[in-house]
Amino acid sequence: MASLSTTSLSFKAPSTRISQVLKKGSSFQSVTFGRFTSSTSKSLRLQISCAAKAETVQKVSDIVKEQLALTADTPLTAESKFTALGADSLDTVEIVMALEEKFNISVEESDAQNITTIQEAADLIEDLVQKKPAA
Amino acid sequence: MVSRSEVLSLCRAMLRAGRQYPHYNLREYTKRRTLDGFRMNNTDQSKVNEAYAEAKAQLVVLERSVKFHSLYPPKTKNIMEVKLQ
Repeated sequence: MASLSTTSLSFKAPSTRISQVLKKGSSFQSVTFGRFTSSTSKSLRLQISCAAKAETVQKVSDIVKEQLALTADTPLTAESKFTALGADSLDTVEIVMALEEKFNISVEESDAQNITTIQEAADLIEDLVQKKPAA
Repeated sequence: MVSRSEVLSLCRAMLRAGRQYPHYNLREYTKRRTLDGFRMNNTDQSKVNEAYAEAKAQLVVLERSVKFHSLYPPKTKNIMEVKLQ
């Protein structure tokens, strides 16, 4: 079994200039992706892996920016922690609520307390959206 | 002494309850007020227990109020909810 703790895929999101590094969860043992960059929207490719789609991450980042009133050019990567962006725990609660409303999902208490970065939020959202057959 | 996670779950419960109002103004108000209220009482550590008990009572009131207000939902959509075209 190929031992991989993290594999990084770096993508250039077509609409923004931010490069988002997405880490695959360590539950995957099947395929090892080499480093490749693509300029077209390869976000559809990610459906195979367990990392969240770039659009979801983008949407989450937008909501976070709005809630924390960040300026448009703050560097926001998928790995940014909410606390690093100046959010306290109440802000995090607010963000999770806003995400619930936006994506029409319902986050459990236990899950909600573990969200610290944008990537985690996006992954959780993806999970919930898939489990619940959203219209 | 109430723990951090209890306070956060109470906040979440209140926000969730407030979301169920059919009225735009009540929804927005509860959201704003709960967040402001929790932030204000954040600073004074000695009053945390009191504030927590008060908030718990308010949550009960909130849930009851949601049920009442749902009996008479507004007939027209509030202008603030209409998306700009």
